[in-house]
Amino acid sequence: MSKPTIAFCGMTHLGLNSAIAVADMGFPVVCFDPNAQLIATLNDSVMPVQEPGLDEMLAKNADRIRFTADLGDLVGCDVAYIAPDVPTDERGQSDLSPIRAIIDLVAANLNDAAILVVLCQVPPGFTRGLAFPADRLYYQVETLVFGCAIERARHPERYIIGCAEPDKPLPAAFVAVLAAAECPILPMRYESAELAKISINMCLVASVSVANTMAELCENIGADWSEIVPALKLDRRIGQYSYLKPGLGIAGGNLERDLTSVCNMAAEHGSDAGVVHAWISNSKHRKDWALRTLHEQLFQDNPNAELGVLGLTYKEDTHSIKNSPSLALLANIGQCSLKAYDPAIDFDPAWHPNGQNTTTPLAACQGVDAVAIMTPWGVFKDLAPAVIKNAMRGDLVLDPYAVLDGTTCAAAGLRRITLGKPAQ
Amino acid sequence: MRGCWIAAYYPWQASSIELPTDVGTMLQHTHLQPVSPQRVVVVGARGFVGANLVQRLESLDVPVLGLTSADLDLATEGADERLARMLEPHDTVVMLAALTPDKGRGLLTFMTNMAMSQTVCQALERQPVQHVVYISSDAVYPMSKSHVTEQTCAEPDDLYGTMHRAREMMFESVTATNLAVLRLTMIYGVGDTHNSYGANRFRRMALDGGPITLFGGGEEKRDHLFIDDAVDLMTLVIRHGSTGVLNLATGAAVTFDALAHQVAALFTPQTNVLHQERNNPITYRHFDVTTLRKAFPDFRFTPMKEALRKVHEQDVKGT
Repeated sequence: MSKPTIAFCGMTHLGLNSAIAVADMGFPVVCFDPNAQLIATLNDSVMPVQEPGLDEMLAKNADRIRFTADLGDLVGCDVAYIAPDVPTDERGQSDLSPIRAIIDLVAANLNDAAILVVLCQVPPGFTRGLAFPADRLYYQVETLVFGCAIERARHPERYIIGCAEPDKPLPAAFVAVLAAAECPILPMRYESAELAKISINMCLVASVSVANTMAELCENIGADWSEIVPALKLDRRIGQYSYLKPGLGIAGGNLERDLTSVCNMAAEHGSDAGVVHAWISNSKHRKDWALRTLHEQLFQDNPNAELGVLGLTYKEDTHSIKNSPSLALLANIGQCSLKAYDPAIDFDPAWHPNGQNTTTPLAACQGVDAVAIMTPWGVFKDLAPAVIKNAMRGDLVLDPYAVLDGTTCAAAGLRRITLGKPAQ
Repeated sequence: MRGCWIAAYYPWQASSIELPTDVGTMLQHTHLQPVSPQRVVVVGARGFVGANLVQRLESLDVPVLGLTSADLDLATEGADERLARMLEPHDTVVMLAALTPDKGRGLLTFMTNMAMSQTVCQALERQPVQHVVYISSDAVYPMSKSHVTEQTCAEPDDLYGTMHRAREMMFESVTATNLAVLRLTMIYGVGDTHNSYGANRFRRMALDGGPITLFGGGEEKRDHLFIDDAVDLMTLVIRHGSTGVLNLATGAAVTFDALAHQVAALFTPQTNVLHQERNNPITYRHFDVTTLRKAFPDFRFTPMKEALRKVHEQDVKGT
């Protein structure tokens, strides 16, 4: 029996990575997007997103993958995944209108036996509300993670499948593609699966919030969070993969969206979401860590201090500045002079009137009173603390992500401040 | 001159300062570039804060109309009409008049304070003005909250805090879009007639020959704001036409014990600090002043050591 043909509709991050991973499992895959220009780009093997292993896996399975903007190509598909990323606004509210639009478009062009699977994240109740035959309609939880999307799509921990009637067997074509990953398959009602995705993210937020709360306490009482984390990870109830790395608040969009969703649902149904509001509050508090620390450790005693900023993008290995902690700092830092360096982008004078772009990280440290390493680019790890100290006028280094080695910094005479440790 | 007339213009900032959650409490600057108000009417100009604010504004050549209870008794009938006649549409009104807890904590004080506020609000209804600044208190926050931001729920513990919260709402009801509510923490400085537990009382104890006595070990942590910083911040709010809620605090809480020792060290011979039996449980209050940092990024607080020394020198000079 030949393998079923699988369609992925919506060629954004989720759709692309999922489609190419399924192709790698040996299935013929139709990659559909109504944007003909995007499809032309993809046909030239130019990927709009970056993920480790994505380009290589595409090249390896090119003969099984067809990029198309032609709806007619969907007729022959056995399973069609609705897979665009769901856009969110700055308040974490999902805009589901593009999802509904592509569902309408795709559903009208499938054959009468085809299975429709909603893969993008939707709120509870969404799938059951779709006007599509329930015995061919499913919701599948996506658990992609930026930076390891291909790995997670190719080797999922489990599949969570939302069904109209979870006691009924799944259709053969759908089972075929799910079974290829050789992982547990968990059928459940639509609403449970939709809430399972949110529940996973709530657990992650809870862990990160614990890390941020306890790390801040460490900073004040002389403890070191990095010493505590291994002890927690060896506890079976917590686990080795738990999210315990402190950071500058929750970012990226997906977790914020689910926090908003839970608050909205709790408000509508009268359930208690006090702890979720507390997580949001804690995240916002930690986002301003660098601003508070600079006021306490630098500007209080040196109002005219000059600052060096290393890193402008929101995280390493990207050009994106969306939700960048670095730019948030620049917007609120006041009129001090500063020098900035980022390996991917140049400093834009619109971000700060007294800023200056430099072409090397060391040049951004030259003559400044303090250096803030706001993005943990790998290249900054190569900077020798002694060389940084030598270039600087002052001795303060804000290193929230612990890019530099603390002992070497201390030996070089740098006053390094990082998340989860008391100031040196 | 201290740096309160900061000629700041932040073209890279949005006109509204992004705050943690509630849009309703977002602090917004009407003027990104500070402007000099045409006139500031200070209601309650004889009090400690009011007198210092008037002095600061006058030193900056801002026209000021300072109203005291001798000029206008806000608790009397018809005071609203008289006040309304004094106001001009272009005015900034700063409401400071209040009976403080040392004048009583009971119902009578509460009701008098409400009547005073009613008068000013009714006057503002008769004669709307350009900008209203209501000086509130951190007493609107319950002491059970040890970490306070502008988002902390204002659910007061006592009538004094309830009075301020009610007044905030009264002013909100008559000045929907041009109101700044400034929630002031404990302040200290020369000329403060109040004798609340803190820097001012410790100084009085030391001036009387000491000792400075503390409850228990003086472990409680509080935020103490120097009067010069307080009026500088008020001046910034006035000049920017800021609206919304802002806590006026330093963000650096210290124990009463540490504060007492800093005060004691200013006297020769150094005043003794004694600990006596504690009657109440230990409480802490820390302010997260990120909103203030974002609203006025170039403002710098006077370090406590320097401020206490300044107060001491002014006090000694005055005596």
